Amino acid sequence: MDRNSRLAVLLVAPLLLLMIVGFVLPLGTTAFKAVDNPEVTAALPRTTAALGQWSGDGLPDEAVYAAFVEDLLSPQDNRVFGGLVRRLNFEQTGMRSIISGARRAAEGLQAPYSESLPALNAVWGEPEVWQLLQTHSNPYTATYLLRAMDLRMAADGSIIPVDPQQAIFRELFLRTFIISLWVTVFAVLLGYPTAWFLSTLRGRAEGLALLCVLVPFWISILVRSTAWFIVLQREGPINAALLATGVIDTPQAIIFTRPAVYLAMVHVLLPFQILPLLAVMKRIRPDYVRAAASLGARPWQQFLLVYLPMTMPGVAAGAVMVLMLSVGFYITPVLVGGLRDQMVSYYIAYFTNTSINLGMAAALSLLLLILTGLLVVAAARVLPGLNLGARV
Amino acid sequence: MTTQTSTRALLVALPLATALATGASARDLTIVGFGGGYQDTAREHLFQAYAAHAGIGVTDDVYNGEMARIYAMVEAGDVTWDIVMVEAPDMVRGCEDGVFAPIDWSVVNADKLIPSGVHDCGVGATGFGVTVFYDTERSPEGPKDMADFWDIEQFPGMRSMRTGPRMSLEAALMADGVAREDVYTVLATPEGVDRAFAKLDEIKDHIVWWTAGAQPLQFVGSGEVEYAMAYTGRILRAIDEENMPYNMLWNTLIYSIDFWTVVEGSPHTEEAMRMIDWITDADQLRNQAAVWPISPANIEVNSDPEVQAANPGMVLNHADTGLFIDTEFWIEYGDDLEARFAAWAAN
Repeated sequence: MDRNSRLAVLLVAPLLLLMIVGFVLPLGTTAFKAVDNPEVTAALPRTTAALGQWSGDGLPDEAVYAAFVEDLLSPQDNRVFGGLVRRLNFEQTGMRSIISGARRAAEGLQAPYSESLPALNAVWGEPEVWQLLQTHSNPYTATYLLRAMDLRMAADGSIIPVDPQQAIFRELFLRTFIISLWVTVFAVLLGYPTAWFLSTLRGRAEGLALLCVLVPFWISILVRSTAWFIVLQREGPINAALLATGVIDTPQAIIFTRPAVYLAMVHVLLPFQILPLLAVMKRIRPDYVRAAASLGARPWQQFLLVYLPMTMPGVAAGAVMVLMLSVGFYITPVLVGGLRDQMVSYYIAYFTNTSINLGMAAALSLLLLILTGLLVVAAARVLPGLNLGARV
Repeated sequence: MTTQTSTRALLVALPLATALATGASARDLTIVGFGGGYQDTAREHLFQAYAAHAGIGVTDDVYNGEMARIYAMVEAGDVTWDIVMVEAPDMVRGCEDGVFAPIDWSVVNADKLIPSGVHDCGVGATGFGVTVFYDTERSPEGPKDMADFWDIEQFPGMRSMRTGPRMSLEAALMADGVAREDVYTVLATPEGVDRAFAKLDEIKDHIVWWTAGAQPLQFVGSGEVEYAMAYTGRILRAIDEENMPYNMLWNTLIYSIDFWTVVEGSPHTEEAMRMIDWITDADQLRNQAAVWPISPANIEVNSDPEVQAANPGMVLNHADTGLFIDTEFWIEYGDDLEARFAAWAAN
């Protein structure tokens, strides 16, 4: 490397570092967490080694049983065992008490263990539980990613849909994208005339109107969402106004419904649509529309054939921004929506905070990222005038 | 000159570094609970009283029972909470999973506690429960029992319940006419679970789910919902201190005991054991009972006729009309029912 290229590397080094620390590392960790499967091997090292020799047919031999009991008896951190129990219980209900029961009783068990363990709990005399342990002694697993698509692996390795009562994620992803698309449509429909109006203003009026767009933009999303919570209440100002004007005669439940989610999300995201549109509209010289008029175009033709196509880059840039941001929305639906209006991020938070299943949280995040990426690529092809820097 | 500067720099840096280092290791003992009036009164009569008694710093914090925070703390080895109040099933599971330290029963006196308040990793703190309540001014003829709470024909309007299967499934079966003593027998069968979810389906469109204990009070207070299940302490405070015209239905009580636990790896483990022993003593609890309807797991205070007379809201004294949450049941079926509830609620 000559001196110049070394200098060049040094110059981009901060950017490179930022990319690695802020982008590659977290993404890589998330992708890894979604397939990482260390729990069984960590808690049952001897059993895992012994099961490696087992064909998977019938029952394993005494060596596996003995290794298992030895693992149960070996003094190890409860946390490692807790990880094992939670991991297996996620795969199959009831494993928590089966494993914990065996661990509590392990002290008093007599060899041969292939007889005393099944005597303790008949489950240990059946191949399924050993197959489960063998399957999950693999350091990587597709369980989380499959579950994020409402699929699971059957004991024989085939991929089947989960029990309909447990199915949740396909519908959830669909709902997330439907809500996001509607929010984007509303943002375009409301943002377009607003941006046009702003672009026609000059001087003080322009500064004032722009301030009206920017001030809410600068206020935290949490604050704006909470404000909507207050405004939309049964005894809030909207219901009060509707009652006073006689539009309704009893207060309506607006909060915790889907329309409330749309309303608050569109409000929060509207500036992201208006600002790129405004930037584009500002650059369009009024002469073009006047020229079209002088050539005999009617007002609708002036708009549809001349003005609109020139503003499409602004529409597309704003729409993609609104779409991408709404797909990951969390706090606004939590505050103004019901449980049935929640999007994928709610369940990412649920698996992180409540259910303590980082594998599921990572799998959902990864899937959301991939689907959003695909959506943006698709949008880039469909929406004219959107240039994402390079052709995608 | 250079030597002088660096010496001076060192003189400034040294105490700063020491201060930073000691500041990190000598944080105050931190005790965490579910907040509300219970914690406001515990702060004065238990936490700060202990701080004065032992001559140490004690701070308290509030959470909504998110166990993940504790698991993450223990796993990362960066334990910033020392004593945490947890619900019984979470305590037992956390004990098995190694996130709570074993209680040092040579420091904590077990004899003063009710038998169900003694566990490897938990010291019985106080009984807690939820009941249905409503505003009598808005609904003069309100529901009388759990079946009425489910009756959207006779009692129209929104309801509010705690997010999650625990207490919701029990309530559903009670509303469906299952006797209190049979609730867990029924719920332990697949048909019983189906039955509970089917019952919840009946009012699904009329439920606003809450996560923080303050929410159901806000919802009823603002008229957002008509009838809500809420923590008894919160309802009693609204009635007693804010003079709200609320009626609570003791026959809908679902209750249990919360436990004091010590987070594994806490740098204050020994102090925490001493503090837990002290704040579960009769003398301290009497002080708190004088200002708040606690229902402590301390036998002496809980069975004291004077305390009982002054505190008609002590949940452990409503055992005859309440359903005691079955800890073992929730340890066994908790994960499964959580997953099913999440799927049910989302669709």
